[in-house]
Amino acid sequence: MSGQGTSLRRYALTRIALIFPMVFILVTLVFLLMRVAPGDPISAALGGHAPPQVVANIKHQLGYDKPIYQQYFTYLGQLARGNLGTSITDSRAVTDIVRVNGAATLELTFFAMIVAIVVGVVVGLLAGRFRDSTMDTGGRLFGILIYATPVFFLGLMAQLFFGSYLGWLPISDRASPITQATLQTHTNLFVVDAIIDRNWSALGDVLRHLVLPAVTLGLVTAGVFIRLIRVNVMRTMKDDYIEAARARGIDERAVVYHHAFRNALVPVITIVGLTTALLLGGAVLTETTFNWPGMGRELVVYLGNRDYAAVQGIIIVFALVVVVVSVVIDLVNAFIDPRIRY
Amino acid sequence: MRWQLGAFSLLVLAVVLLGATAGRSALGGSSASSTLIDGTTDTVTNLDPAGTYDYGTFTADYQVFQHLMNYTNGPKLEPELATKCFPAGGLKTWRCNLRKGVTFQDGSAFDSADVKFSIDRVNNKSILKQAAANSPSPLIGNLKSVTTNGKYAVTFHLKAPQVTWPAILATQCCNIVPSDTYAPDKLMPNTSQQIGTGPYKLVKYTPGQQAVFQAYSGYWGPKPKTSNLIINYYSKSSTMKLALQKGEIDMAYQSFTPTEITSLQKQKGLRVYSGAGGRIRYLVFNVTRDPGNSAAIRRAIAYLMPRQAIATRVYHGQVTPLFSMVPSGYPGHTDAFATAYGRVPNQAKAKQVLQAAGLTTPVPVEIWWTPTHYGDASADEYAEIKRGLEKGGLFTVTLKSSEWAQYSATLGTQYNVFQLGWFPDYPDAEDYLVPFYRSDTFTQSGYKSPIMQTLIRKELGAAKLSQRLGYIRQIQALAAKDVPIIPYWQQAMIAVGRNNVHGIPSTLDPTVYMRFNKLSKS
Repeated sequence: MSGQGTSLRRYALTRIALIFPMVFILVTLVFLLMRVAPGDPISAALGGHAPPQVVANIKHQLGYDKPIYQQYFTYLGQLARGNLGTSITDSRAVTDIVRVNGAATLELTFFAMIVAIVVGVVVGLLAGRFRDSTMDTGGRLFGILIYATPVFFLGLMAQLFFGSYLGWLPISDRASPITQATLQTHTNLFVVDAIIDRNWSALGDVLRHLVLPAVTLGLVTAGVFIRLIRVNVMRTMKDDYIEAARARGIDERAVVYHHAFRNALVPVITIVGLTTALLLGGAVLTETTFNWPGMGRELVVYLGNRDYAAVQGIIIVFALVVVVVSVVIDLVNAFIDPRIRY
Repeated sequence: MRWQLGAFSLLVLAVVLLGATAGRSALGGSSASSTLIDGTTDTVTNLDPAGTYDYGTFTADYQVFQHLMNYTNGPKLEPELATKCFPAGGLKTWRCNLRKGVTFQDGSAFDSADVKFSIDRVNNKSILKQAAANSPSPLIGNLKSVTTNGKYAVTFHLKAPQVTWPAILATQCCNIVPSDTYAPDKLMPNTSQQIGTGPYKLVKYTPGQQAVFQAYSGYWGPKPKTSNLIINYYSKSSTMKLALQKGEIDMAYQSFTPTEITSLQKQKGLRVYSGAGGRIRYLVFNVTRDPGNSAAIRRAIAYLMPRQAIATRVYHGQVTPLFSMVPSGYPGHTDAFATAYGRVPNQAKAKQVLQAAGLTTPVPVEIWWTPTHYGDASADEYAEIKRGLEKGGLFTVTLKSSEWAQYSATLGTQYNVFQLGWFPDYPDAEDYLVPFYRSDTFTQSGYKSPIMQTLIRKELGAAKLSQRLGYIRQIQALAAKDVPIIPYWQQAMIAVGRNNVHGIPSTLDPTVYMRFNKLSKS
């Protein structure tokens, strides 16, 4: 037992230690890509209305005319001091972008994940349980369709149908303008802020605004869950212990729900981790479609402006989230299944 | 299994019902007549006026800050925080007498020290570095120093005579902030309280999402017609259009695509307002490189430019053909290109020019445009230009595009014929001529005409209006003859409002200022 404990601890430490080189490589890649990509933040802001000399002077002031390696080491020095930098476009500290816009992304992805898990698990289990039935065919088709549909297209259709045609739900933003103007922000998570203030009408308004973007993003992610869970259920239903349970005369319903489904859901933990990256990627497009002021939408804007500091900072945060979640999932898996020791 | 399905359906229904019913009370207030909600696709850079040079931020700042001179009520420049600005010993020295009894939104009194402080800090080295590309300092490039003359007068000492100095005082360079609140060498962060003397106080700003304003009770001028103003920021005009159609916002200003505007014109409960505007679009030639180094080619293209086709087919009549860099409606405007090349494309004349220069047709031309800065219609606009130039077989046009970040860094150095647009810093013909035709022009056209430079110098220093307008006309005529740039449209200022929003037409004029304080809601 102690041997296993030591092994798990060593594995955990190794996985955590690997975070640093992974992030370092990513920081370097993003830095280089931003510098070699055509265009720069000063030309993007001033091009088309300032003389070249003015543009050159500002680049000089900010050190953008220095050799790339010098800029790189300056940037690494900043990062080492925990300074993610300040955006050039609107002088925002990257930490402020993470705090304010990151909260919006977190709120969206959290609810999207709930939608993904609920839809994915229910449809996947039913499709797997009733293999080759209409339910199975429908579930598979649904899974393939929503997975293959581009998230912005699904979002646009949802906006037009539920927002514009039926008029049931708001089509953009995190809250109606007046709610947003009057809601006190404590955490920048609007649902939490509304609950803290016991502002129930604001909570309702915020939830209404969450429905379309969260369902859109969640459904696309649910496609992955549906297919995985369906296959797992089918495989589990053929396992020996299921046959044994049946042979012992255990009620079929108990066999299916207490044995087969529970075991079929174990790999979902891994998939939840893997889909975090998918969710964050999807959030960029979902946020743009629904005018959701998350980090993804900001990333698109800053990228268009070649805002080095902001783009680098946001990507580092995205990367950290994905890396940390994947490490946590690895550790959970290692804890559950002692055979996992790489 | 059925009960699970039933439970799931109930759960989904509960979520939908909760979403559908909740929040109605919060939404109910959005149509209150005391709050006007505007939508825009503009962005905000630095709210501190020492760090902003863009239109989106200017619109937000305009509600909070004031200038010595301004276009407060329309296209006529008039004193705002000054009572009078006048030349004091030639056009190199300007003196402004200041309004008394004005208070900032923090309660402090406004005086000459605030004016000097506000303008000096625009050129502060540390602020320049923080503001980087957003600094409005180029607007006061001609300023040598500011001195105070007692508590209620200031004098501006210029490097060179400038008759349009009062107009400069109305631009982003010269918003007045309190000297005891703002740091001389540090920009006030967007999340901090911004303080001006204007009709509205900025009470909340969430970057990229919303700016919330409340009427300033101590405002020295007429009270705003609507007590609360919210500007909601959108990343896409299509989303803003849906929000307007659903009544989530009361009005939208800046910017819809031509197709969206046409669609909104048919929508019940909405009105599309159009007024004189100053936004223009033009084609630049690098006159030092092939094919722009041939005056014949430039002139032939000027003969063929399909202005009316662009205005009708691409912009559905929301732009009008432009025959000078100076938009129609501005004092001094002449249709110089119409005089030189006609109002409609003329293939015979174009052919004649090319033949006279000994050029073999079709002449190959590569034209660059960008899809990410001048609106979605740019693609159709350039397809129309290509069609117009190739008609008759005189040109073979290759269209090339790149996204703005790349485009802006490359134009003039690698692109030889390219698209650009302009929005005025101040509503005067000078701002549509001098930046484009002086020898160090930002367009990088390489155009250097000694006659043009002389005319520009004379225009800048002309004391009499009639004399100045004369130079402005001469500049336009010479520009049409030399053709380093072909202007082709000017756009109206367009705003869309719900039927219960009043006063929008009163603020649509060539100054392109959105004066929200003059709008009301019923």
